[in-house]
Formats: sequence, structure tokens, C-alpha cells
Amino acid sequence: MEYSDKYAKREKRKSFSLETIRFHIQPFYFLLPAMVLLGIFLFLPALLTIYYAFTDYYLLTPDQREFVGFSNFTQLFSDPVFMKSLQNISIFVVCIIIVQVGAALGLALLINNNKKSNIFLKVAFFSPVVMSLVVISVLWLYLLNPSDGLINSMLQGIGIDAQPFLTSPNQAIFAIVFVSAWQGAGYQMLIFLAGLQNISREVYEAAKIDGATKWKSFLHITLPLLRPTTTLIVFTTLIAAFKLIIQPMIMTQGGPLNSTMTPIYYIYQTGFTDRLVGYSSAMTVVFGVLIAVVTFVQRKLAKEEI
Amino acid sequence: MKYVVMAAALAVALFLTACSDQETNSTQGEETISMWVQTSKESPEGEVMFDTVQQFNEEYEGTYEANIEFIPRSGGGGGYEDKVNAAVSTDTLPDVLTLDGPNTAAYAEADIIAPIGEYLSDKDDFLPSIIDQGTYEDELYAIGYSESGVGIFYNKDMFEEAGIDLDSLPTVEDPWDWDQFMDLSKKLTEAFDTPAIDMGLDDKSEWLMYAFAPFLWSQGGQVVSEDGEQATGVFNNEDGLKAMSFIQEMQNKNYTTISPSENGFETGKYPMMMSGSWSIQMLETSYQDIDYDIMPYPVSPDTNELVSPTGSWQYAMSTSAENEEAAGALIDFLTTTEALGDISLGNTVLPARYSAAEELEDQVTPQMNKLIEQNTASGQPRPVIPAYPQVTRAFQQTVTGLSFYENTDELQQLLDEKAQEMQTAIDRRN
Repeated sequence: MEYSDKYAKREKRKSFSLETIRFHIQPFYFLLPAMVLLGIFLFLPALLTIYYAFTDYYLLTPDQREFVGFSNFTQLFSDPVFMKSLQNISIFVVCIIIVQVGAALGLALLINNNKKSNIFLKVAFFSPVVMSLVVISVLWLYLLNPSDGLINSMLQGIGIDAQPFLTSPNQAIFAIVFVSAWQGAGYQMLIFLAGLQNISREVYEAAKIDGATKWKSFLHITLPLLRPTTTLIVFTTLIAAFKLIIQPMIMTQGGPLNSTMTPIYYIYQTGFTDRLVGYSSAMTVVFGVLIAVVTFVQRKLAKEEI
Repeated sequence: MKYVVMAAALAVALFLTACSDQETNSTQGEETISMWVQTSKESPEGEVMFDTVQQFNEEYEGTYEANIEFIPRSGGGGGYEDKVNAAVSTDTLPDVLTLDGPNTAAYAEADIIAPIGEYLSDKDDFLPSIIDQGTYEDELYAIGYSESGVGIFYNKDMFEEAGIDLDSLPTVEDPWDWDQFMDLSKKLTEAFDTPAIDMGLDDKSEWLMYAFAPFLWSQGGQVVSEDGEQATGVFNNEDGLKAMSFIQEMQNKNYTTISPSENGFETGKYPMMMSGSWSIQMLETSYQDIDYDIMPYPVSPDTNELVSPTGSWQYAMSTSAENEEAAGALIDFLTTTEALGDISLGNTVLPARYSAAEELEDQVTPQMNKLIEQNTASGQPRPVIPAYPQVTRAFQQTVTGLSFYENTDELQQLLDEKAQEMQTAIDRRN
């Protein structure tokens, strides 16, 4: 009797555990479609890229690819264009974070009150975000034209010489920073706005009573309380900035003198125009590792901050 | 689960009917030929192609049936080429396809396209530039269906205003050299206080190779050696330096500009423009106020040899074509004098055959005839090499980079650097 009781108990536990397993597995059925799609379109290509990086894959002769070891990697470290592209993207990322995040904060502060007219400003500042990057690039190509573009006509109106902007190796990357920030800032502005509206009025009132000026309350209340929002924005802007390709592709084709060549653009060009899939895969791997390192460091810093 | 089974069954059924459709076609005794083109039925060029294929099907009814399909292209022809690249990986190329001239060598080297010389009738009638463009390692792999050309468009009214005698202007028999051209540019630049000529330097694409390489060729230089193996010591030699110095001088003296106004010539801002036959179409339809004519390329004072650009899209047969006879017959049918004449007239492009050029003489504008005349006398194709994409980019960057350098030493350095880039790309393919 005692034995059978024990047996029944174990039996029960077993069936219970089977059920638990089933219960725990069930959610994965729902994940399955997403996982399959992710697997096919993200993980598999990523793994294949790593594999191709060690081969001499030529786009037109996929069957003849051979394992070449690290030769792609040794070549790319002596590739002046790849190195130049890394330098360019570093300049771009640093500048875009300062300009775009700064502009977004400025715009958010500008419309952070409850005036009716702000709806118009909000829409105006946000509208570039919903426009296609290609359209924006073409638009600015005309605006920045040195001989009859609007910007230069305005500059000449106030007595400044026409600037070459996109046709100067020294200015082109900054022109692209400006256009990109102009396009993207509206989005971050909305996030900042949400952050600003989360800051309690009472804090400002208390500061006012203590005699704090507007500037002081901005410095000592607004900025510190916006820190989590700022971290989030800097994070997302940084990751998006590394992917820069459309603006230089349309506006400068990476020139003049490769001054606006970016890693993603160069990877695209090498893989699909020059048909060197193996070599461009190697660049993808190296660039991917670099981004991973940057993201990792940034996360560490962000964690310490919060 | 039930639905999944049903859906799967439906899919299988659809697949089977699709297969059996094809089956019935071939049992009727008709060989089907699949064909991809990069132009749509709505474009003048595509319209002629689709019509010609229809004529082919009528002519060969019961024997062959060609199915022509338009693959949309985006940007610089990327979409169409992406589709071809994908088809190479999955082995699903059509029997006949179109390809741009500079791709000939890469496709032939990779064994994607097959030699077609034996299927073409009256081969000697094709312009030499058409044959050269399609030839890789002494075999004809592709055949251009039209030719293109570039000349110096000039605004007659503005020339007269600047006091230039129109009768003194150069002809194909008696072209001007770079010095004479530079004098002309100087006069015009001073007269109108604007760059004399829009050379399309803002283009930053294949145009820069296509339109500017003839200056190098006229000087006697080359982009890469005849066998396609050498760029260093070839592109950056004395001839290369002289040709690039001319282009540089045009830029640095502001006779031309790297950022021209949109449609500056068409709107009467610039007195001259370097452009191709497509501009004739545009001027005839949208800018009829401009009274213009075309003069030939300026030539090197050292050689006095007139060289002008050429190049076009072509027909080729893929190596996966099941019936080579059938595919060859289709390409031959698409490149008869009549078909090529129609395509040139429809699309305002130059004809690819001498016989077509003769037939068109009375049907096109005098300006068009000038381009045709220059083309048959002096057209030269771009190098046919597998590493073309990198070589052309290095060349383009040289042309756009010229204005950032002042003295000859720096220019030499730029040429050395770019020649080295070309060489690296060539060596990588070997």
C-alpha cells in the first residue's frame, strides 16, 4: 500500500512535470514564426558573412569560391579607402551626436510650453523625419549647389563668398552631418519633449523661490533630470549614425577624394559593384566587431552613470 | 492543421499546372526562348524590342517562341544587374539577356555568357566599336544594339554674340586641338562671365570615364595596357599626365565647373555643353528656343587624332541556354539592319551598323548626323576587362580630383595613386 502510494505520487509528479514542460514550451510556438524569419534573414546571413569573409567569393562565380584564410583581412588593413572610411565615420558619429542631439534638445526646449501655435512648430520640425532620405538628399543637393543653390545665394546676400560644400574634401562630410542632423533631429526632439514634460513643475517652482535664474535651473534641474532620456537618445543616434550610406551615395558618391566614403557604403560598393563578396564580407566582420566594441563600452559607461 | 494541408495541396497543384503548361508548349514542337531586357515596353527602346520579338515569333511560328520580360532597373542600372547576379547564384538565367558594355569581360570571364559570333549575319557591317566592346579574349560574346556618342553642343546665338565666326568652327575632318579649344573657352568665359562649357563634371559616375577617356586616347595614352594586365606605368605615364593636365586646366581656369547649374546649356546660361545624343532629344522636345549645333571632340595638339566615346547595352546568350541555335537566331533577328535602324530612330541613339547609319541619314536631324559622322570616324570603346568596376572608379576619381591639385608634381602623385588602385584590382582578378 505504502509502495503503491509512493508510485502514484511519483506518477503524478511525472505527469505534472510533463505538463509543465508543455506549458513552458507553448510560448515558443508563438515565437516560432518570428524566430524562423529572423533565422533566415538575419542569423543565417550573418553566419554566412563570417564564412564568406574567409573565402575568395566572387559574385559571378559562386561555385568556384575557395578558402583563403586571413588574406582578406590582411588586405583590408592596408586598404587606404577602408581606413579612410573608418576615419570619416568617426568624424561623422562624433559630430552628428553633438549637432543632432544638441539641436533636438534646443527644439524641444523651444516648444516645451502649452501654446497652441506649437502644434505648427512641432509638425514643421518633425516633418523631415517622415520624408525619404533619398528625397532629402536630392533636395539638399540643389540647396547646397555652389553656383545657384539657395544656401549660397543667401550667404552671398549677407556678403559671404559662395562655399563649395559638397565639392570640397574639407567641407563635404560636415555638409552631410548638417543634412543628416536636420533630417533626424525632429525625432529626438519628440523624445526630449516627453522627457521634459515628465519633469515635475514643482521642482522648478522650488528653484524659482530659491532665486534660481532660468539658466541655472536649466543647468541644475533640466539637464540632470533629462539624463536617462539623453542616454537613450545618444545610444540610438550612435547606432544609426554608424550605418550612414544613403546621404553620401546620393550627394557625393563618397567623394571628393573619398572624403565622404563610409564603411557601409564601401562594403556595398565592393560587394555589389566590384563583385568581391569575400573581401566585402571581411570588411563587414571587422566593422561589425568595431561597432560591438563601441556599443559595449558605451553600455558600461551608461550603466555607471545611471 | 487542416488549412495548412489544404494550402500545401493547393500550392502543389498550382505548381504542377504551371509545369504542365510549359510541357504542352514544347510538345507542340515550339522551342521557347526566355529573354530579359532592362527597358520597359513603354520606353521607345523597349517598344522596338518587344515589337521585334513579336515579329520573330511570327516569322518562326511553330519552331521558336521567344518570351521577352522586362526587369526594372533602379539607380545606375543596379536593379537589373542585381537580378542577373541573383540568377547567376541560383542558376536561373534566361537564354538571352541584355548587358551593359563594360560588363562584357566580367560576364565572359565568369562563363555566364557564351560566344555568339557564329550566329550573327553580316558581321562586317557592325561598327568596329560595337565589335570591340563585345569581344573578350578574341571571341565575340555580346553585340550592341545601338551606339552612343558625345560631342560639344554649342549655342549658335551666344557664339555670334561673343563674336565667333561659326564658319571657322572645327569639323570631323579638321578638328581643333586643345589649345584652340581653350582659346575659344577663354573668349566665351570672358564674354558671358560664366564657365564656357558644362562638361558634366558633377556626374561622378560612368559618364566621367565614358566622356573623358577620349582625351587620354587622343594623346596616345591608355587607361590600361592592350592586354588588360597593366595600369601602373600606363595610366600614370607622360601621356596620362598631359591629358589630365588639359582637363585640370579647363577646371582651374574656370572654363568649366565641377558644379554646373541644372540644365545650364538648355536654358542659355552656358554657351557650350559636352553631351550625347539624348540631349538632342531633350533639346528638340523641351528646349526648342535654343539654336544649337554640335562640333567634334577637341584633339591633342601632339597627335591631332580625333577620338570619341562609344558604348551601349548589348544582347548576349547565357551559357545556360538550352537551345543555342534558337537563342542565336533570336539575337540575329534582333540585330538586323531594320531592327537596329528602328531602335536608333525610336530612341534617338546612334545606329550600330554602317548600313543602318546610311539608311537613317535622311531621317535624322543634322546635329544627329554630326554625331553619327564623328562616331563612325573615331569611336573607341572602353577597356574590356573583368576588373572594370574598380578601374573606372579610379579613373572617375582622378577626373573629379583634378581641381584639388595645383602643380604637376601633385597631379603626378594623384595619377600614381589611382594607377596603383587599378593595378591592385586587376591583380586581384588574376
